[in-house]
Amino acid sequence: MGSRTVSKDIITLRGSAAIVCEFFGYAANSILYNRGIYPEESFVKVKKYGLPMLLTQDEGVKSFLAGLTSQLTEWMEAGKLQRVVLVIMSRTTMEVLERWNFSIQTDAEVVEKGLIKEKSDKEIMREIQAIMRQIASSITYLPCLDEPCVFDVLAYTDMDVAIPFSWIESDAKLIKNPQMVKLHSFDTKIHKVDTLVSYKNDEQD
Amino acid sequence: MILRTPVPKKRKPESVVENLHSPVSDRRLVLYEEPGPVIAVEPSDEMVCTYHCRQMVKSEFMVALNNAEKQVAEYQAKLELLNNDLTQSEDERTKFRDSVLSLEQKLEATKGREQALQERLLKEVDEFMERYKEQVKRCSELEVQLSKEVDSRKKAELSFTSAKERVTDLEGRLQRLSDSAEREKNTLKEELQHLQDDSKLSARKMTADLERMTLRSECSERESELLKKQLNDLRKQLDECLCEKNALEQKLATYPIPSQESTSSGDKNLVRYLQEQIRGYEAEVQEARKFKAFHTNSELLKEKLIEEKGRREKVEAELSKLQDVQLSAQKLELELVSWKSLLEELPDVSSLNDIPKRFAALQKEAIQNMMEVSEVKAQLKQLEVALELGENKRQHYEKESGLEKQRANNAVLEAKRLQMMLSSVTEERDRLKKEATMLSKLKNSNESGLPNETLVKDLESSLADRENTIKELQNNLHEQQGVVNHLHDELKILSEQLSSEARRVKSLEREGDRLRAEISLLESKLGHGDYSAANTKVLRMVNTLAVDNETKHTIDSLREELKKTQSKLQAIEELKGQSDAANIIDDGIPEILAQLKSQIATLEKREERLLWMISNGLMEFMSHVLFYNLYMLKVMMKNLSLSMNREIPTYWLTTTLLNQK
Repeated sequence: MGSRTVSKDIITLRGSAAIVCEFFGYAANSILYNRGIYPEESFVKVKKYGLPMLLTQDEGVKSFLAGLTSQLTEWMEAGKLQRVVLVIMSRTTMEVLERWNFSIQTDAEVVEKGLIKEKSDKEIMREIQAIMRQIASSITYLPCLDEPCVFDVLAYTDMDVAIPFSWIESDAKLIKNPQMVKLHSFDTKIHKVDTLVSYKNDEQD
Repeated sequence: MILRTPVPKKRKPESVVENLHSPVSDRRLVLYEEPGPVIAVEPSDEMVCTYHCRQMVKSEFMVALNNAEKQVAEYQAKLELLNNDLTQSEDERTKFRDSVLSLEQKLEATKGREQALQERLLKEVDEFMERYKEQVKRCSELEVQLSKEVDSRKKAELSFTSAKERVTDLEGRLQRLSDSAEREKNTLKEELQHLQDDSKLSARKMTADLERMTLRSECSERESELLKKQLNDLRKQLDECLCEKNALEQKLATYPIPSQESTSSGDKNLVRYLQEQIRGYEAEVQEARKFKAFHTNSELLKEKLIEEKGRREKVEAELSKLQDVQLSAQKLELELVSWKSLLEELPDVSSLNDIPKRFAALQKEAIQNMMEVSEVKAQLKQLEVALELGENKRQHYEKESGLEKQRANNAVLEAKRLQMMLSSVTEERDRLKKEATMLSKLKNSNESGLPNETLVKDLESSLADRENTIKELQNNLHEQQGVVNHLHDELKILSEQLSSEARRVKSLEREGDRLRAEISLLESKLGHGDYSAANTKVLRMVNTLAVDNETKHTIDSLREELKKTQSKLQAIEELKGQSDAANIIDDGIPEILAQLKSQIATLEKREERLLWMISNGLMEFMSHVLFYNLYMLKVMMKNLSLSMNREIPTYWLTTTLLNQK
């Protein structure tokens, strides 16, 4: 899991980046399951954050997410990552239906000087658990996705970041006049992650 | 202490009583003997006695009398003393009465003062209550005003946010339109250049055609000149022929006719022959002329044809271009319409030239807004800190005002307690009055002096006590007045401070609400996905999920083809082994087989590498490479099959052909 010291109250930059990327991986899987992007039978239940979490068994999705999270970890350790957005689009029209926005605020001092911070692991886990519960309960107010959908992941980085081989520049894939719901946030004292979901207003249809 | 009149002593014989009322009013006890008959008096033994007894009685009587006289004298002395004491007590009583009256006056004065104090206190309490009610009313009114202002501010903020959103949308549209306009400009420039080039080319073509035409015209002119010369020559010849004819005719006419009949037929035949020749020549000349005309016409027609062909080609080219130009014109018209509509929508923009200025202005506004947002955030933090401080101060002042109110209530309670004490003092005073009346009654009865002493002492002690209590009450009153005044002053100061703090808190709350609204707006923008292109770029991982599926299929198909090629190679090797003796087998086939084997090996290696590259995400390129290699294989197989056409069984060829298909 990252360079976390034996004492669980101390958190380093690498450890915090690992926590955040792991959270993103599980959150992405939870969103894919809850929004029905992939069939339910392709998911397997595991225990994480004190909750039963669902992970996809599709090799393609797994490899995609694995490559994604590795690159996100690298950017986060360099302090270059500003935001990660999971976009859900219609397969036929490629219209953007939902945007799961994860804003990341990094403590620049930690990145520059390599400081360490103190925060209880349990408290971080509790905060992440609250967000996961909110993601699971989001189906109560999010509009139903009746058509087959695909997902994509956007990364907002600093301008001086070199674009890796398997990445390309893209537009922001915005939704026009969206409805927005702000979820909880969690803080590792090095990275603060705010979660927000914006979706296409159903009344416009 | 209640003075009780002492119980008068029991009267001695009635004679003593009667003697009190006797004319002898010197208040001396005189024994009196009635000489009259003894009525219901028990005769004493002494009186019934004899003379001796009488003497004895007389002596005893005399002794008793002396004693009585002595007693009388003593009593008189005591009486005098008592009288003196009485007078003294009366004097003291008068004094005490005066003191009591003065005390009563003082009491009444203190009463009046207390009443005045109470009234003042009550008035002040009423005033405070009224002020408190007014303050509460003002607070409620201010809260109502605050809510109204908050609502109006929210509306203004909503309109401001909507206007900002419109501005951002318009900015986005403007950017896109500017980009599209620039692209269109570039395309139009390119088209212009193309058109210019085409026009230059056409001009060159036209010049070339012109040159050709000029050359042709020169050639035709030369030909025409030649023809004219020929014509002239022919005309000359004709004329010469006609002249000769005329000359001949004249000669014929001038010649004599020796034998006209014999020669006339010959001449006629000659003439006819000549006429026929002339006609023939004329016909030939006419034909020549016609041919010449046809020739010129044909040449002209050819030239015209060529011209027309050229024109047709040009027109066709220009027609094709015209369609493109029409499409571009339609696009430009649509864009113009959109631009015009956008110009109409955009405020402060009247022409295209104003748009860049408007862009610059909007960008400046956006930058300023960003700076203002940062400043606002800093101000919000400061205001939040100040708000917390103000709230703490307000709570502190509220606590102090509560304490002051409690103190005021305590002062009121103290005043009430003093009232109670005053009432008790008045009761005591009344009691004293009663006792004074009792004293006066006792004085009138004047039975004994002893009770007066105790009464006086009690009165003195009670009066001293009352004076002490009155002094204490006065001191308490003074203290309470001082405390109340101090409390009033503190209350005033606290109320002023409370009002100022309340105003400050309200202003801070307004600022905080405004800043929170701005922050929420900015957060909504962030949540919407807006970002600064100068600081942020959006990257997307190439979604290899679909590609991976396709590449999987390609990999499977490639594997199958590999297997087939391997089987084919095996068959070829078998055939090679079978047809070793034949001369049809080429020397190059083993080499080809070796090549194929090496290719298969490389393909297998490549397949492994492909599988490895799938995990790294380079499938597309490798699949293309594979396809290319397979294609090369197939080509080589085809060549092989063609070279070994006779020996290879047909089903192998068909299978290969089918697989190739």
